[in-house]
Amino acid sequence: MRKLLLLTAFFCFGTITMAVAQQKTLDVGDQAPEIKLATPDGDTIALSALRGKLVLIDFWATWCAPCVKEQPELGKLYRTYKNSSFTKGKGFEIYGVSLDNKKAQWENTIKKLNIDWIQVSDLKFWLSPVAKLYGIQGLPFNVLVDRNGVIIAKNLHGQELRQYIASMVVHDN
Amino acid sequence: MNIMKRIAAIVTFAVITLLLQSCSAQTDKNPWTQQQLMKPADLAAVLNNPDAKQPIVFSIGPQAVIKNSTDIGPTGRSSNLDKFQAQLSKLPKDANIVIYCGCCPFSRCPNVRPAFNLLNEMGFKNQKLLNLAQNIKVDWIDKGYPLNQ
Repeated sequence: MRKLLLLTAFFCFGTITMAVAQQKTLDVGDQAPEIKLATPDGDTIALSALRGKLVLIDFWATWCAPCVKEQPELGKLYRTYKNSSFTKGKGFEIYGVSLDNKKAQWENTIKKLNIDWIQVSDLKFWLSPVAKLYGIQGLPFNVLVDRNGVIIAKNLHGQELRQYIASMVVHDN
Repeated sequence: MNIMKRIAAIVTFAVITLLLQSCSAQTDKNPWTQQQLMKPADLAAVLNNPDAKQPIVFSIGPQAVIKNSTDIGPTGRSSNLDKFQAQLSKLPKDANIVIYCGCCPFSRCPNVRPAFNLLNEMGFKNQKLLNLAQNIKVDWIDKGYPLNQ
């Protein structure tokens, strides 16, 4: 019995360590690495240019079904909070980084989904250096950063994301 | 008492094993069989060996990342599935064909089933689905397997 318990404990520990090792690259409290990529129009927007705001870095792609499905929800958040004040920044911005590889498809999907926040991509699919820089293992993936570019949350979606952002709103009066 | 404990342990172990098996048995409704799933390491070994007989590799997902593979595009879209059918109609039914997507796990992938069904319907005999369990990034690129340059 003891042997079995030991074996089970060993197995569980192994699985947990593996899971942790996979996500080791970036953690809450780390500085979000700089991203400087082109928009569909060819302008370059740096992540660091958004300092001062609360920023959601949304890694997605048109070929990722759950990512596409999430975009209208992100749109609602963006329109609700873009001019709000937060405990961790003034104003809310979404910095959408696409791991697409076909420009036309990327542009068409942006139009179709009425995405009116920042969108950048190097159109290099999974070979994008950004995927490596952020240690992304799968999509969708996102990172929330504060006014100083420090990561305050990782991979929150749906209600969890909405609640977390709402909890940081400062009501002036 | 000791024996009882040991029996209890064995029973627990058996139940867990059965539960795990029933989970994996869900894959039975897929158009491919377990034998038709190809390990990424096996394909990489073949691609890295110039003396080995090379299969015909099709990307039926977002991008033809794998060395010497042909880009069909996501076969979840009917226009790409038509394109795939046109390519396949030129091949003998016993051709060694490997298809891959790599967008996401098979359970969520909109592309692997239409493509594999088409291969079956057209009467191919030697088709394989590359077993990219998580995605092309984790199960191919990160392993350093050969890429299309």
